[in-house]
Amino acid sequence: MLKDVSFGQYYPVKSFVHNLDPRLKILFLIGYIVAIFLAKEFLALGACALVLVFAVFIARIPFGKVMRAVKGILFLVLFTAVINVFFHGGSAVYWDGPAVLWEWKIFRVTQAGIMFSAFLVLRLFLLVICSSLLTYTTTPVSLTDGIESLLTPLKWVRFPVHELALIMSIALRFIPILMDETERIMNAQKARGAMLDSGGPAKRVKAIVPVLIPLLLSAFHRADELGDAMDARCYSGGKNRTKYKKLRFSWRDLLAAVLLAALIAGVVVMRYFPVFPL
Amino acid sequence: MRIVAEHLSYVYNARSPFATKALDDVSLTIEEGEFFGIIGHTGSGKSTFVQHLNGLLRLPSSLKRRKKKDGVVLTVGEFDLTSKKTDFRALRRHVGMVFQYPENQLFAETVFEDVAFGYKNFADKKPERDEVERAVREAITAVGLDYGAVKDMSPFDLSGGQKRRVAIAGVIVTSPEILVLDEPAAGLDPLGKREVMALLHKLKESKCKTVIVVSHDMDEIAENCTNVAVFSDGKVKDVLPPAELFKRTEELFSLGLDVPLTAKLTLALKQRGVEIDCDYTMEDFVAKVLAKRGNVC
Repeated sequence: MLKDVSFGQYYPVKSFVHNLDPRLKILFLIGYIVAIFLAKEFLALGACALVLVFAVFIARIPFGKVMRAVKGILFLVLFTAVINVFFHGGSAVYWDGPAVLWEWKIFRVTQAGIMFSAFLVLRLFLLVICSSLLTYTTTPVSLTDGIESLLTPLKWVRFPVHELALIMSIALRFIPILMDETERIMNAQKARGAMLDSGGPAKRVKAIVPVLIPLLLSAFHRADELGDAMDARCYSGGKNRTKYKKLRFSWRDLLAAVLLAALIAGVVVMRYFPVFPL
Repeated sequence: MRIVAEHLSYVYNARSPFATKALDDVSLTIEEGEFFGIIGHTGSGKSTFVQHLNGLLRLPSSLKRRKKKDGVVLTVGEFDLTSKKTDFRALRRHVGMVFQYPENQLFAETVFEDVAFGYKNFADKKPERDEVERAVREAITAVGLDYGAVKDMSPFDLSGGQKRRVAIAGVIVTSPEILVLDEPAAGLDPLGKREVMALLHKLKESKCKTVIVVSHDMDEIAENCTNVAVFSDGKVKDVLPPAELFKRTEELFSLGLDVPLTAKLTLALKQRGVEIDCDYTMEDFVAKVLAKRGNVC
């Protein structure tokens, strides 16, 4: 049951996208999000969508997985869409017919409102899909490696970059272990007749205590053991530490960078010379 | 209660790249009153199988639909676990399950509260205070602890072996007819192991009619079990009494399993030309060797 929780976990297949350098993937994500927000019309956003669909396709992530990421924010998206349809207003005309389609008190459905809502929905979907694409195609370890590497300049102001990255990677590393542990403890308590998934809110909160206490205990226990193990191997911070997997740029990264740069350039140009302005 | 499983299969993370087949067409019958052993290397499906027995793992719905065609059967006494309408709470009262390292499930402030947890959960209406006390006293005494001394202690202040006893007490407090234990002696010292096994025998005589033990310790299996199922790669290779099973030492070795010390000694003696036919309990082995010694030396 807990194993089904999708966190945008890593999806283990081999692909072009999986093989990209994590540092670049993080930068790509930022660049792509910038492009989404720079896009002012459907054509530009459509181009962004096309690039993303292409990326998902070559990453060999199944359609269902991507939809699962979208499902998480579906309510938020629908909510914004409905609000915007009724309140956006505007007088632009996109197809034959009146600009204002329906009006009642403060509610006003206009052509512009509908178009704007659709634009917003698409933008939100692209946002979620592109960020989940990053976590689907990058292992937590290389993700933290990438973040550490990108934050290196902060070392100049004595920011503990390595320690931060270490904390992150340990936290990520422990998620599946603690999930397993939770499931084991839940099973043990269920076997003793605990009703973990029925009853009112107050009852449920009370029912979680027999799971929470053993879980916290074991988490502290594990943390202690890990600390001791690191101590026993004389682990000390980032200085002079070498990496097992060195990050290297390859032709793939160059190719992807060129594609993304082209996309951003196109979107910026269209911002100033719109084709079908919204 | 009799346990019958036929054509039972289970896949973890079905339809994903993580899919692993844990059980593959398992058929197994466990009679009431057996001290049943389950052996198999890590990942052979033994834990998955026992978790089916009290409905912690259920048959996937896709399987239910095909039930008639595939002839999947899983019944524990009167309970049909292939049906959705089964009262799993009632089932769990009858099938007690002690997980690996059960001391990890302790949570309450006192030993008394922890042991009483299961009893209160399974009671149909809120039980009387003295009723609970009687059951808890009985369970704690049954696992060989001093009720008066430990009842108000924090379970976290106990020693490892004591914690495990308290955890077992927390399961047997409802007097389940079937007691399932996953590696009950793992991580204990030799004395602790012997005590736990002795405890299981005592429980079998007094409270629980059927005891099912998953174990890696072949000596334990040889000494205690009436029947043993060998799991390998999600399949049941064989169900045999230990006296038959450990005759096939080489076969067990090839499955990555160990054999009891007595079986190793029997094999070594055989290679040196001495045939011994024992049931692989230490007592019987020693008796047979002593009987043979006259004509060898």
